Amino acid sequence: MNLNELWTLLPLLILACGALVVLLLGAVEPGRHTTWTGVVCCCGAALWAVQTPPLVSVSFGMSDTPLVRSFILFFCLLAAAVLIVSLEYNEQRGIHGEEYPATILFVTFGMVAMAGATNLLVLFLGLETMTFGFYILVAIDLKRGTASEAGLKYLLLGAVSTGFLAFGLALLYFTSGTLESAALLKQCSGEPLAVLGWGFVLIGIAFKLSLVPAHFWTPDIYQGAPAPVVAFLSGGSKCATILFAVTLLSTIGNYSALRTPLLALALLSMILGNLAALLQKSIRRMLAYSSIAQMGYVALALLAGGAGGFKAALFYAFTYALMSLTAFGAIAVFERSGITDQLEDYRGGGCKEPFAAAVLALSMFALAGIPPTAGFTGKFMIFAAALRSGETAAAVIGILTAAASAYYYLRVVVNLYMLKPEKAGRIEISLAEKLVLSTAAILLVIFGLFPMLLDL
Amino acid sequence: MTVPLIQIIILAGIIFSLGLICTLVWRSNVIMLLVGIEIMLNGAMLVFVGGSYRWGAPDGQIFALMIIAMTSAEVSLALAMVVYLQRRHKTVNVDDFHELKDQ
Repeated sequence: MNLNELWTLLPLLILACGALVVLLLGAVEPGRHTTWTGVVCCCGAALWAVQTPPLVSVSFGMSDTPLVRSFILFFCLLAAAVLIVSLEYNEQRGIHGEEYPATILFVTFGMVAMAGATNLLVLFLGLETMTFGFYILVAIDLKRGTASEAGLKYLLLGAVSTGFLAFGLALLYFTSGTLESAALLKQCSGEPLAVLGWGFVLIGIAFKLSLVPAHFWTPDIYQGAPAPVVAFLSGGSKCATILFAVTLLSTIGNYSALRTPLLALALLSMILGNLAALLQKSIRRMLAYSSIAQMGYVALALLAGGAGGFKAALFYAFTYALMSLTAFGAIAVFERSGITDQLEDYRGGGCKEPFAAAVLALSMFALAGIPPTAGFTGKFMIFAAALRSGETAAAVIGILTAAASAYYYLRVVVNLYMLKPEKAGRIEISLAEKLVLSTAAILLVIFGLFPMLLDL
Repeated sequence: MTVPLIQIIILAGIIFSLGLICTLVWRSNVIMLLVGIEIMLNGAMLVFVGGSYRWGAPDGQIFALMIIAMTSAEVSLALAMVVYLQRRHKTVNVDDFHELKDQ
């Protein structure tokens, strides 16, 4: 391993060693500082990813392009933000122990490996590292029956989707004879076995993005898992998967055989996700169905592809992660006061907890796609790309469903501000939490006004 | 005697479908679900090893070895959860877990 290779791999090493240090530290002296150690490791890895490497090199199946670096930076900062948000939440829920920050670091390791992977083996292992971490994180709240139920459901369905993904990758390898993704993707285009392999890989991606009909796990996991974990799952895991899908699809270039299934996934997700979200009484389940719908828009952007669709998909991946961080971060704050996930419990939240309510309301505006938030800009880019690529019907359906979705997002805002609270009670928010949530909220507006800042 | 490549693919396809059918049919029992998932992954591994043989390169075999390592981690995680759920709910029947659902 020479110096350049070490340079490329250092974010991964920082995260992996950091996770081990956190585990050891927890064994010697447990307490809150294990979480802070995790935050420091994430920030360290992020800082390392900021600088340009001396030489763009490909080593150990990892590349180091500007796009990859910006995603590494983003994943690390997201992990740090999630760790900070979960501090008070976990304290209140009784989730003690160093395994929580350590698992978050391992998950981030998986995401970073996935982002940089140029080799299908590294990519697969990164994806599995990330998913395994989430299996544990979803079920980490052992005192609640719902958390373990959510963990079991996620594990079983996730393992089935892993089977599909592995079989698809195996077929692709069988037809092309290489695991290097660039070479592999160029070679296999028309062979029936390769097309079959692509189909299986698409099923795996659809599961991770929770596209209809592979969406069954989403509402249960969103309802049962701890709120900061949901923020990370919904933001980070989906962001990493979108990057994976964009890398695959942009390399093969001509993916005509995948167009019809992708279109079907996009349409079903947009329509069913939005319709089911309209009916929900629980804010978490509502956000789960909304995430299905939002991923439908991303699938539409993937379909639009070269006509600005990939750029739009990556932009939306970033903004969606910010939106889930703000939404579930605010929900984590609210749930500390002992309320359930029912929408009625959020009545008058604006009086009880002005800060968290403002953040939640902003993220609802962003999810609904109201300007000047990044949600609007992202949706605009997606639908413009879809129209440019000639998918007029799908774009029109998408715009209509997005308009309908405003109803259930704004219902949350109405509950927060226009209805009287049933019982009063204040929640203490720490300075770090305020800092993280307000930064994420401000970024949502900044990226909405100046999308060129995120030129991917 | 060498085995024709197409037969490897067909065999792997059959194994994969058997695993998938197992997960769909014995949906209620966690252990049977895990067995089905293992069988699906075995089909994938067989294709990797077959591909490795076809191209005379070791990467497919390495991938298969990694899948073996991964599945053992997965099974240990799943069984830990099964033991926990067995203690908590006194059952490993997936259909008995229905606290989380649409109202």
